[in-house]
Amino acid sequence: MKQFAKILKFETKNYFANKVFLGVTLFLVATIMVVMFFPRITQSFQRDDAEQPAELPTMLVVNDTQQDNALIEESFTAAFEDYQVIFSNDRVEEVKAKIMSEQVECAFVLESLTSYTYYVNNLSMYDSNSLAADAVLQNIYQISSMIGGGMTPEQAQGILSVQIQHSTENLGKDQIQNFFYTYIMIFALYMVILLYGQMVATNVATEKSSRAMELLITSAKPVSMMFGKVISSCIAGLIQLVAIFGSALVCFNLNKDYWADNPMISSIFDMPVDLFVYMLIFFILGFFIYAFMYGAIGSTASKLEDINTSVMPITMLFVIAFCVVMFSMASGNVDTVLMKVCSFIPFTSPMAMFTRLAMSTVPIYEVVISIAILIGSVIGVGVISAKIYRVGVLLYGTTLKLSSILKAIKRA
Amino acid sequence: MKLEIKNIQKSFGEKQVLTGISLSAEGGKAFGLLGRNGAGKTTTIRILMDVFPADSGEVFFDGSPIDYNKVQFGYLPEERGLYPKKKILDQLIYFAELKGLSRKAAVASVHYWLERLGMTEYRTKRLDTLSKGNQQKIQLITALAHDPQIVILDEPFSGLDPVNAKLLKDVVKEEIAKGKIVLFSSHQMSYIEEFCDSIAILNQGQIVLSGDLHTIKRNYPRNRLVVHSEQREKIKSVLGSECTVQENGTLMITLQSPDEKQGMMKMLTDKFDIDEIKVFEPSLNDIFVEYAGEQYKEATV
Repeated sequence: MKQFAKILKFETKNYFANKVFLGVTLFLVATIMVVMFFPRITQSFQRDDAEQPAELPTMLVVNDTQQDNALIEESFTAAFEDYQVIFSNDRVEEVKAKIMSEQVECAFVLESLTSYTYYVNNLSMYDSNSLAADAVLQNIYQISSMIGGGMTPEQAQGILSVQIQHSTENLGKDQIQNFFYTYIMIFALYMVILLYGQMVATNVATEKSSRAMELLITSAKPVSMMFGKVISSCIAGLIQLVAIFGSALVCFNLNKDYWADNPMISSIFDMPVDLFVYMLIFFILGFFIYAFMYGAIGSTASKLEDINTSVMPITMLFVIAFCVVMFSMASGNVDTVLMKVCSFIPFTSPMAMFTRLAMSTVPIYEVVISIAILIGSVIGVGVISAKIYRVGVLLYGTTLKLSSILKAIKRA
Repeated sequence: MKLEIKNIQKSFGEKQVLTGISLSAEGGKAFGLLGRNGAGKTTTIRILMDVFPADSGEVFFDGSPIDYNKVQFGYLPEERGLYPKKKILDQLIYFAELKGLSRKAAVASVHYWLERLGMTEYRTKRLDTLSKGNQQKIQLITALAHDPQIVILDEPFSGLDPVNAKLLKDVVKEEIAKGKIVLFSSHQMSYIEEFCDSIAILNQGQIVLSGDLHTIKRNYPRNRLVVHSEQREKIKSVLGSECTVQENGTLMITLQSPDEKQGMMKMLTDKFDIDEIKVFEPSLNDIFVEYAGEQYKEATV
């Protein structure tokens, strides 16, 4: 136990003595701080500009329908608040020339109440002007038809703009609200496990290739070594995450007012405490189970170059687990049979069960069973990894076959 | 203090690596474990240190099965290597702590050894900035800093210049004088001969010769004489086929029986101008070549 503590301290110190690790962490913290302060920064710039209102882009509307000029002008002006809407009787060539010379940004040429041409220089991916124009013209067409049928304009307007009252009572989880922080947490878990798993594997392989292992293996128990390495990397990973998300949280609270109109960002920082605890549990256990496997794989590589190919099977397993969870989240149904099965398999449950907890309602016994299986598996995988490690670190030369590793474990 | 290995068997897969290895080493004496590459020396050392278990057989310390929680080993592996990118002082303290020293004791001991080996000026340097010989001295500290009862040195002299080799010899002699068990493994026979009271020669996973080095040498038939003389041609013509000229210019006279040596010595000193005459004792090198060589294996099969 004393030995384990020494190893843990040494390995953890290694992470924080690593300039790249520190640099990346500080860079990420700085980036997230800039992001969280962004609305405040942009608003303070906007305040300076407040006296001289920004110039709106110009929109040209050519009405060739010969009717309802007043209604059309009123409706278009109301519908395109972001534009300075100008009405003219230009011919099509003139309209095109004005757009090309950037006098106006876009133009509608109305041939009738049910057909028009939209002219624009570069059609943006998010251009919804024609959709808005469709709605405006549809509305005008309906009103004028109703008036033609004998209704008063007020009656027609009243029918078309009737408001339906509705309310939603959610008895379980709100998927829209939970989606973003679940997404962020799953993604963070994915990144951290992949990055730190590789680090553990490289760390072991480096000790082996520098032959420091010859001495280490005679100085400390393989179980202490393995657990020391994995737990230290977990601590380093958690501290990194706490630094990043902690600074995000602090900066968010400093700028809370500026984010008020952004429900997505606000929802991320509005995570319930019980879910946060679950996240921590699944995060740590999920981290352990993969880090142990990465460590064991690292011990079987003779050279550092072999690491990348050796860890492939584990990385693939993990990526598949990630994809299953991500697709289920995107589909909106996180309680499929596949997800239910995945939330009990220890290699997928950290992500699958957490996602179900966050976005659906899971009976407590399922959660307990899932965590129990996971804890058991972490211990099992840890001990087996330590055995592989004990055998693997002393074998140099040929790349190990799975069968020879299994034989070696049996003997050890 | 007494360390005994009894009837160790070990195989890796199909390959039998050690067959019935038994050894005995005592405190205050150095023990030489010899053998060609791949003879099973490192495997024996690893079993001794509990890196992996033997298939059968046992290790005893002072007459009872060894308790690895109580007996401390110091090990200088043949494959040297520590953390190349770490500060020397930091990693030395770490290894001493791993071996069970408190932080304070580890710091004190590491400083003592850095001073003893003349490495104090390098303590804040990274290991990979040092020369090979100096790295080896640092590695030696990891074997000695925690004051182990048993010190295992695998090829300790390879890569050291004569000054450092002398320093290491002194250190080893001090450790032996402290009553520790010192286990040597080396191909440099002169060092083994200088330090070790007893030896064991491993060949193909078996011990082919073991015991007190002096006794082993005495047990060789004492029927050969080594003669230094300027008149070697004359002697050779008189003695005929029982006399051969060695590579180093000395004469080797092989007698029918050891009893004849007194008469032969007297005859030679009376008749010729003799610089030196002595009974031939094989060097450890001769013994090693005889027992560890291919011929021996074939002869015993």
